[in-house]
Amino acid sequence: MNWLGAIRTATGGMLRHKVQAVVIGMVLLVSTASATLGLALLAASSTPFTHAFAAQHGADVTVTVNAARASSAELAATGTLGGVTAAAGPFAAATVQVQFEGQPSGQLVLAGRASPRGSVDDLVLNAGHWPDGPGQVVLNGGPALGQGGGPPVGSTLSVTGAPGAPGLTVVGFANSITNTADGWVTPGEIARLRTPGAPASAQMLYRFTSAGTYAQIRADVAEVTRALPPGAVTGAGSWLAAEDAASGNGAIMEPFVVAFALIGLVMAVLIVGNVVSGAVVAGYHRIGVLKSLGLTPAQVVVAYLSRVGWPALAGCVAGVVAGNLLAVSVLHQSSAAYGVGSQQVPWWASVAAPVGMLALTALAAFGPALRAGRLSAAEAIAAGRAPRAGRGYAAHRIATRLGLPRPVGLGLAAPFARPARTVVTLAAIAFGATAVIFAFGLNSSLSRAAASQTLSATVPVQIQQFGPGAGPQQLPDAAQNAAVTAALRAQPGTQHDVALYGEQVKIPGIARSVNAQAFGGDTSWIDYGIIAGHWYDAPGEVDVNTAFLTASGLAVGDTATVTIGTTPVAVRIVGEVFHPSKEPMLYGSAQTLAGIATTANLQEYYVGLRPGTSAAAYMQAVNAALGTRSPWAATGPGAGHFYKIAIDLIGLLALMVAVAAGLGVLNTVLMTTRDRVHDLGIFKALGMRPGQMLTMVVCWIAGPAVIAAVFAAPAAVALNTATVRAMAGTAHTGIPASITQVFPPSRLALLSLAALAIAVAGALLPAGWAARARPATALRAE
Amino acid sequence: MRQQNVPAVGGDVIRLDGATKTYQHGAPPALADVSMSVATGEVVAVMGPSGSGKSTLLNLIAGLDRPTAGTVTVAGRRIDTLGESALARFRARHIGIIFQFFNLLDDLTVEDNVLLPAQLAGASRQQARTRAGELLARMGIEQHRNAYPARLSGGQRQRVAIARALVNSPELLLADEPTGALDTATGQEIGRLLRQLNADGQTLVLVTHDPALAERYAARMVRLVDGQMADAAARVPMGGRA
Repeated sequence: MNWLGAIRTATGGMLRHKVQAVVIGMVLLVSTASATLGLALLAASSTPFTHAFAAQHGADVTVTVNAARASSAELAATGTLGGVTAAAGPFAAATVQVQFEGQPSGQLVLAGRASPRGSVDDLVLNAGHWPDGPGQVVLNGGPALGQGGGPPVGSTLSVTGAPGAPGLTVVGFANSITNTADGWVTPGEIARLRTPGAPASAQMLYRFTSAGTYAQIRADVAEVTRALPPGAVTGAGSWLAAEDAASGNGAIMEPFVVAFALIGLVMAVLIVGNVVSGAVVAGYHRIGVLKSLGLTPAQVVVAYLSRVGWPALAGCVAGVVAGNLLAVSVLHQSSAAYGVGSQQVPWWASVAAPVGMLALTALAAFGPALRAGRLSAAEAIAAGRAPRAGRGYAAHRIATRLGLPRPVGLGLAAPFARPARTVVTLAAIAFGATAVIFAFGLNSSLSRAAASQTLSATVPVQIQQFGPGAGPQQLPDAAQNAAVTAALRAQPGTQHDVALYGEQVKIPGIARSVNAQAFGGDTSWIDYGIIAGHWYDAPGEVDVNTAFLTASGLAVGDTATVTIGTTPVAVRIVGEVFHPSKEPMLYGSAQTLAGIATTANLQEYYVGLRPGTSAAAYMQAVNAALGTRSPWAATGPGAGHFYKIAIDLIGLLALMVAVAAGLGVLNTVLMTTRDRVHDLGIFKALGMRPGQMLTMVVCWIAGPAVIAAVFAAPAAVALNTATVRAMAGTAHTGIPASITQVFPPSRLALLSLAALAIAVAGALLPAGWAARARPATALRAE
Repeated sequence: MRQQNVPAVGGDVIRLDGATKTYQHGAPPALADVSMSVATGEVVAVMGPSGSGKSTLLNLIAGLDRPTAGTVTVAGRRIDTLGESALARFRARHIGIIFQFFNLLDDLTVEDNVLLPAQLAGASRQQARTRAGELLARMGIEQHRNAYPARLSGGQRQRVAIARALVNSPELLLADEPTGALDTATGQEIGRLLRQLNADGQTLVLVTHDPALAERYAARMVRLVDGQMADAAARVPMGGRA
């Protein structure tokens, strides 16, 4: 028999065992897809801003100019200055006040651009289309902005400061990696949107030879300023600030993305190894027959490598396509969370995943194929018929003595006949269950962190300044502030309200200014997340965030001197508050932080509602009472977009891992039913009913699933704690115990059933086949 | 699921009417229009060369397979119309099967092998153990109750298989080449055992291609050739009954 003949023979065997070929193909498909996605996520989590900045030709510097002081030609000429490697603009720009659904929605910096493309700040259009006429705007961000309560595609914003309050329809979302603007309109639109009397402005975008530090950027901006008429440059923003903001989110995401990617990769390796080696072992009987017909050992090895190779190859090719398709959605979410325009599957991931899986397949098949090649024909025939004699006998004896229903006892004892296969399957279930429990835990942890950070549970309404006030520097005056207090007190739904004042203060040991917040009333109801100590409840007491303690070297219980203006105030730190930020923060009463609670420092009001009060109706009533001329308006708490995106991503990743684990179980049960098809026929001949058969086959995998749950539960708790701590560490904050303690025993026990659910879901299909098979067919199938 | 009870005619345990089995569409049937009956307490040998349809006939009678056409009635009940669960329950209670290669479960002890059909049928553990003990003693293999099948001789294994087939006291015992895997002496030993069971009233259908076995132990022979009964009408006492 020649080599081609050997391969043809093996392929013939494969075609007669279509189910096994399909399972190998399916497992390789899912494994390759998981590996592709895992590698893509690992790549995406590695310096996402840097990659996106390079891909989108991010602007090192965005210079805002007074268009009346410099002509377009003068501005364009700055693109040829020494040190400038690329420039774009000038783009007409305007800062506008907008309303969405009748509510003040802050101010937007709009730029007029004919196209999202460019040699600098190449925008990524995430949704919708680019403005192609008047009255259209593309907002900076992703569609998640709309899902989180912001204006979705198709909605209309009103530009309140412009004559006639023109409307802008949101026609899309785009991402500027360096946030050069909040939105873009057609170039001709800007003039119509300007507030009467406001100077015409424009923006120039630059990339420089040297822009790695703030000092270099200052020098670059100075060079541009010198090249333009005096007073032309009114402001400049650098890429370093954008990187700082974006990399914060990215770093927070990284721990759990890496955790899921690694779980997925390990599971892929386990399942592929199990499937492929099992497939070759299942072919021993045929190998024995072929050897007796003259196949040489080398031909046997080649024949059986090719036997698993074809379905594996098909699975890998389909898997890399599926992985890329899945990655579109997952990377869309991760890019939104990382705050970058778009992320693609790197080409090397689309090569490494299938090649790696094929290599793994070859490795897993090579050992058993080599063994088959060395076995005598008789040994191969014997080895292919049944597990090694003696294995699992003791387990059957014990199961019999336990007095369990016979199908249950037979099922529970069966895995001991194939201990290696059982251990690998157990590991796959354990990884899958760990991922599911971990996902639930992380979901709870992030939900609690979101609630704690946005104060959404206790402060459903905030009164913020959205328009210009009547006081100096367009701040609200005392009368406008008093109107707010009156409006709140007049509402029957108001249970608590407190004014919040903010001011920069100095603390010994911290070089930069510290953001201090002083509350003008009772705050015990706000329920800040406390990491250590307690919320202040006496004069002279303050709370601080983790960044404060890190920067100052102080600890809870220490005293410090806060300098407000020029007045030193002695305070005692009584608590560490959960507030993820690099910036040090300090919280105290207006009484303690005397001098901060001034009209000029009034930032917002926090409002707590009586039980049963609708926050939406309450906000509507307050806004109606304040009227459209008030600078203040009621709004909800921050939507926590990052948390929402992260939780969605976690759900998707956990689902993928669980599906892969279920496929691993399906394969194991399928291989075992094939091994034991003759025994199944005997059981049926002796009167085993389909329901009993189903029970027995499901019980094959139930025992390993219970053991997997025992390993998975503590592993998931440890993984969740470590991941949340790592995320908190990158967010420069400690964490309250309530954020990690999300697994009460009853919940953990319930979640541990995930292992059993994965096992049963994976086993049901082959168990159903076994239950439905005719006894005569099963008996003939030996 | 449609169930139909048919009264036993003249004390028949088995009645086949026009039973036909075709495995592949377009292929000649493995069993074609077979009609036969077996009376209570009778020993019938089904004979024929390889591929004649003996095992197919046995599978239909045992409810291991379904006819493509015709009816199969066992112990007064149409079994070709039963659903899988009902069929399994029926098989456990009314039919015992002995296979050529014993078909014992290697990972269960002798006693556990014998107990299995009783446990699957829902018998109490104590009752089943008592019955298994009696059968093992009757088969002369009580001392091997805790041994595994792999440690037994062929004859001993077939005795275990017979004990297992009888544990639920079935009306009908089917034996597929029960001596086919045994040496002559052991085969005769098993033959005598089967004859003894029949003497105690056990209805037995014996599938064999060994004319000597059939002549020695069966009261009647049914001969199959190419899936058809060669002498379906013949009721030939072979004088084999002890």
